[in-house]
Amino acid sequence: MEIIGKVSTGSKMDQIYIPKNRNGFAIGNYVIIKPLEESKSREKENFVEKLYFYGVKKLEPVKLDIIGEIMRIIDNTFGNYENVFITGSFLEEGFHFNDIDILIVTENKINQKVLEWDIKRKTGVKIHILFLSNKELLIGLKTDPLYQIMLSKCISKKRFVYNIKPKINYKILDLHLLKSKILIDNFDVLNGDEKYYLTRNIIAIYLYLGNNKINKELVDNKIRAVFDMKDIKELKQNLIDKRDFLKKYKSIYDKTFSKILGGIKSGSKQK
Amino acid sequence: MVQNRNKFIELFIGNIANVIVHEILELAIGKELIANKYRKELMASFEIAKRYREKINPTNRLLRDKDAGYIKNKIINEVRAELNIRISKGYKNIDLNLIEKLIDKALKNTNIA
Repeated sequence: MEIIGKVSTGSKMDQIYIPKNRNGFAIGNYVIIKPLEESKSREKENFVEKLYFYGVKKLEPVKLDIIGEIMRIIDNTFGNYENVFITGSFLEEGFHFNDIDILIVTENKINQKVLEWDIKRKTGVKIHILFLSNKELLIGLKTDPLYQIMLSKCISKKRFVYNIKPKINYKILDLHLLKSKILIDNFDVLNGDEKYYLTRNIIAIYLYLGNNKINKELVDNKIRAVFDMKDIKELKQNLIDKRDFLKKYKSIYDKTFSKILGGIKSGSKQK
Repeated sequence: MVQNRNKFIELFIGNIANVIVHEILELAIGKELIANKYRKELMASFEIAKRYREKINPTNRLLRDKDAGYIKNKIINEVRAELNIRISKGYKNIDLNLIEKLIDKALKNTNIA
């Protein structure tokens, strides 16, 4: 006989209540108590075994465990998706991440906050979920270098192949570049991670204009080269020299902006 | 202290101007910007502007008319200059008539005017 019970809080000891009318479990018998969740651990392992890794060379086992649990929760609570991606700083080596970025590709609507809360409750890690339709994802990959970076290093639930020919839309790139302008005037109030994201944005656009296909590694290497850094951590940990950094930052910003304006100009002439 | 206040006001102006330029360009691009969700998640100038606003006295009520007027005019000029660069390069659909309306809304939301 098996009975499922819930551990509840007692004043001196915690307890599990079982019904008085039962077959077995007589008073005085010794019983084994084990968590119901344990039966899910094999299920979790199955999820990990079936994942697809893109650009992720190495990942700590504990992170894999968390990812397996996330996939299991998403599958059980919301199975109606086209794909699920884990991306962002969680996939970087070490444990210097703020949250786990999850991208769910679906045409259906779901309460994001509830799912975030549920995953956080079960894994103990802060979660950030973004829902995109397939169309939005494809257009993003076509026109926005940050989408390419996002998926150049990710773990997905299903196999993901994208052979999308990038389409340079100078007006959209102009809008994206504008976001990075804030670093010039607000250097002192931004932390290292914020500076890194804004710098990565410019460099991604700069490379995208010349090369079209980019990835995270390419962008990080370029940041190191442009700003003369040994390690990208110097920027993420805010250990950079303000004057020197801003001089180079402004220069690359101006170059990128003038390329974009040139593109807008020639685009308007063609029309 | 006055120097600091002036510095924060200038930084506030720069960030709000950036927000307004961004909003007007977004409207000019229109439907082409379908895949902007991921970008929207990124830190925005408006959040930084709010950080500066918290340092500009009085923080809990509207600024004096003179200060609010100065801020509004300076934002108008900065936004206009940024947008004119683009218009001169042939950028179409930029609606300069929106500038004042959007600035008024932003100043209201930040408890400036």
